[in-house]
Amino acid sequence: MRARTRSLQVAILLGGIALWEIAARAANPLLYVPPSAALPALRDLLTLTSYPDLPSHLLLTIQEIVVAYGLAVLAGLGVGFGLGLNRVLGRVYAPILAALYAVPAVVWYPSLMLFFGLDAASKIAFGFLLGFFPITLAVLAGVRQTNPQLVTVARAFGARPHVLFVKVMLPAMLFTLVGGLRTGLALSVIGVIVGEILGSKSGLGSLINHAYGLARTPDYVALVVLALGVVVSTDVAATLLERRAQRWTAE
Amino acid sequence: MTPNVPLIAVERVGKRYPSSSGPVEAIADVSLTVGEGEFCTIIGPSGCGKSTLLGMLAGLVPCDSGRVLVAGAPVTGPDPRRVATVFQDPGLFPWRTALENVEFGLELQGVPRDRRRQVATDLLAPLGLARFADKYPRELSGGMRQRVAIGRALAIDTAILLMDEPFGALDEQTRVLMGEWLLDIWRRTRKTVVFVTHSLHEALALSSRVIVMTARPGRIKSVLELPQPYPRAMESADLVSLRAKLWGEIREESMRSMER
Ligand SMILES: Nc1ncnc2c1ncn2[C@@H]1O[C@H](COP(=O)(O)OP(=O)(O)O)[C@@H](O)[C@H]1O
Ligand SMILES: [Mg+2]
Repeated sequence: MRARTRSLQVAILLGGIALWEIAARAANPLLYVPPSAALPALRDLLTLTSYPDLPSHLLLTIQEIVVAYGLAVLAGLGVGFGLGLNRVLGRVYAPILAALYAVPAVVWYPSLMLFFGLDAASKIAFGFLLGFFPITLAVLAGVRQTNPQLVTVARAFGARPHVLFVKVMLPAMLFTLVGGLRTGLALSVIGVIVGEILGSKSGLGSLINHAYGLARTPDYVALVVLALGVVVSTDVAATLLERRAQRWTAE
Repeated sequence: MTPNVPLIAVERVGKRYPSSSGPVEAIADVSLTVGEGEFCTIIGPSGCGKSTLLGMLAGLVPCDSGRVLVAGAPVTGPDPRRVATVFQDPGLFPWRTALENVEFGLELQGVPRDRRRQVATDLLAPLGLARFADKYPRELSGGMRQRVAIGRALAIDTAILLMDEPFGALDEQTRVLMGEWLLDIWRRTRKTVVFVTHSLHEALALSSRVIVMTARPGRIKSVLELPQPYPRAMESADLVSLRAKLWGEIREESMRSMER
């Protein structure tokens, strides 16, 4: 079953690449880069011939992602549990948070650049902002959906607040929480890269912007593929984390 | 313990809950005592405050007035070394297997892993759950879930066992079997049991004493002592007339409770 799904996925991928090649050749190969041109560009990129300073840009982007996401997790858990466990605060602030989350986040970016400048800080701030909301809202939803009967049972068996939190609240909301953490990670990555594209002199996003501006479309496509690789590998990391969390609650 | 201090003493307790249409008086001025080794059943129309009263005994519901004493000391919160509770809604932890659910109380008390696993495993066999130790609650039937909840309460081996309509969701036959099984446990362990039910049959088959509560606000309407030996012949003239008497009292309160 798994093998069949895998081979189907590979077939769809190859089919997609073939279609892409045909379509790009039929149209303008300069604007619509066919895979036959993108692959050499990707090779040049990875062998550091087209962009020799790629490693330092990539490292910067990854650092920004780590900081932005780390802050988003801390703040998201803190604010989420603060509002979720305190009924009065939750009633006041939770609707405001939900409303803010509905605003397209890009509208905040210009003001972030004003506050934090053109360097890494504004990218971190944007990645943080995008990651923070889904984490906070997941914690809020998780607290709300914890069956109160389980809390009563645990109290009857002598659970003190911190035990209640670890043995009941966290496992009860684990799936929602991990879901929020995953969404937050994906959005933090997007926030950082988009921030770099919108205005920056360094980082993966700035290279994308550079290649695009000079109409170096094969390089541009190769960089986008690399960015995709970053996103996918963070998602794989998140999946591993999720598995571990499942094993942890089973314990 | 001095022999003239009852194990459980409820002294004029009352409870109001806030609601959108003003405070609801759940129970009012309830006093009772339960002696060591008794099987005391509380019966009354639904909504008359039985769960509230049991919650007070468990230390989960604070009294608005009056107090509850266990072994002479006022109850201020849950005391899992003395009191174990089986709830109306079994409240099993869905991420724990049957075995892990039974272990829960021991885990909180810091009992080492091997020891608590042993205790829980030994309990699952008489509960008819030996083959289901590694199943999760969602994989168990309603009756099995309730038995796991009973196992979880028995595992911490307390002197007092509180049970809130533990068999309420089961079919009649399972109910009777579970009742017989509980009776067997009670007679072997000599625990003090406070048992809430709305089944006349259960009350008469199991209890050494039946307490009838009035419609809301719950007060004590009458107390019935049942010295008959176990297992009880439910068709004996004695029990048939007791049943009629009990039904008369409950019927009156149930009608009152329906009329509002
Ligand atoms: N937490 C609560 N908040 C508000 N009202 C409650 C609460 N618990 C119980 N009540 C009300 O108190 C009354 C008694 O409830 P309960 O003790 O559950 O009765 P019983 O177990 O006999 O059915 C009912 O009218 C119920 O609606
Ligand atoms: Mg009840």
